[in-house]
Amino acid sequence: MLETRSSQSSPWRLSLAACLDTLPLAIAVIPWGILTGALAVQVGMSPLQAQLLSLLTFAGAAQLSCLTLMGAGASLSAIFGSTFVISSRHLLYSVVFREHVLALPQRWRLAIAFVLTDEMFAVSQAHTHKTGQFSALYALVSGYCFYVVWNLATLAGIIAGDLIQNLDSLGLDFAIAATFIAMTFGELRRFPIVIAVVVSGFLSVALKAYFSDSYIIIAALIGMAMAYSVKEEASNKSGDKRGQKT
Amino acid sequence: MIWWLLIGMTIITFANRYVFLARTVRYQPSDQVKRFLSYSSYAVLTAIWAPIVFNYNHNDGLSHAGSDYLIASALAALLSVLRVKSIVVVLTSIGVFFLIRYLS
Repeated sequence: MLETRSSQSSPWRLSLAACLDTLPLAIAVIPWGILTGALAVQVGMSPLQAQLLSLLTFAGAAQLSCLTLMGAGASLSAIFGSTFVISSRHLLYSVVFREHVLALPQRWRLAIAFVLTDEMFAVSQAHTHKTGQFSALYALVSGYCFYVVWNLATLAGIIAGDLIQNLDSLGLDFAIAATFIAMTFGELRRFPIVIAVVVSGFLSVALKAYFSDSYIIIAALIGMAMAYSVKEEASNKSGDKRGQKT
Repeated sequence: MIWWLLIGMTIITFANRYVFLARTVRYQPSDQVKRFLSYSSYAVLTAIWAPIVFNYNHNDGLSHAGSDYLIASALAALLSVLRVKSIVVVLTSIGVFFLIRYLS
């Protein structure tokens, strides 16, 4: 309600609304930010490097997978490969934003791209649907609010990780598993996603001992291809039933 | 090595976000490409967590990291399927994980 009115009034009120709308999501990622900071120090980054990882990449899932792989002694190319696959979903958000921001100056487009996350995209899309028009300022403020919280949480994790010496015996890797289970199993009611999860999960376990560098990418790409193909078959077989789902 | 990692990660994550906001990029991905990409996060995240809980190798066959991992993961999976909020799922399952470790 607030942002509906403020979008016509002042940039300050719009910014405030963007912050307030982003805050619940930002608070929800604080534990993961702490985990990322603690884990980065744990796998051998200096506090500065650990903070820079959050400041420069600002991508929770990619950071956690990077640190998991780094802890397991994977090569740079393996880490880059999984980072690319995991952050390739941002290509989608970028496609959706394209029509809204193409007319803006380049510095605006660079600034928005830098803080384009799952959460900022979700909040900004909700605002667009509510008000009927995309607001670049709203998206930008939402993104940077999230950025500040994520980096403060990382800092807290770095400090905690520095103080606690034996983090590895604390079962931090389970925290990653729990986080990723929560992020994937919520959508398990969609059949192609079930296939993506089952296939990539099975293959990653089966292949890890044999392809310690590349098992994540192999398993993920095959899982994505299988998910893609089952959806295709289902819609071909029952073309007229498709509309019922949406 | 870590500095190269930081530089590479920065370039990769930013490129994926910026590519379609650049005016020079004319390519518009088809619906098929978009759909393929839409499964990426589920596939990748699963490929990361599954080997934390389960192990497989030629000699020992399939095994798991421990009953604490197995039970707490099953709980996290169940709660998530029931659409409990992610943050509650994570905190509850981590709580149960440490409770099991403490008790055993």
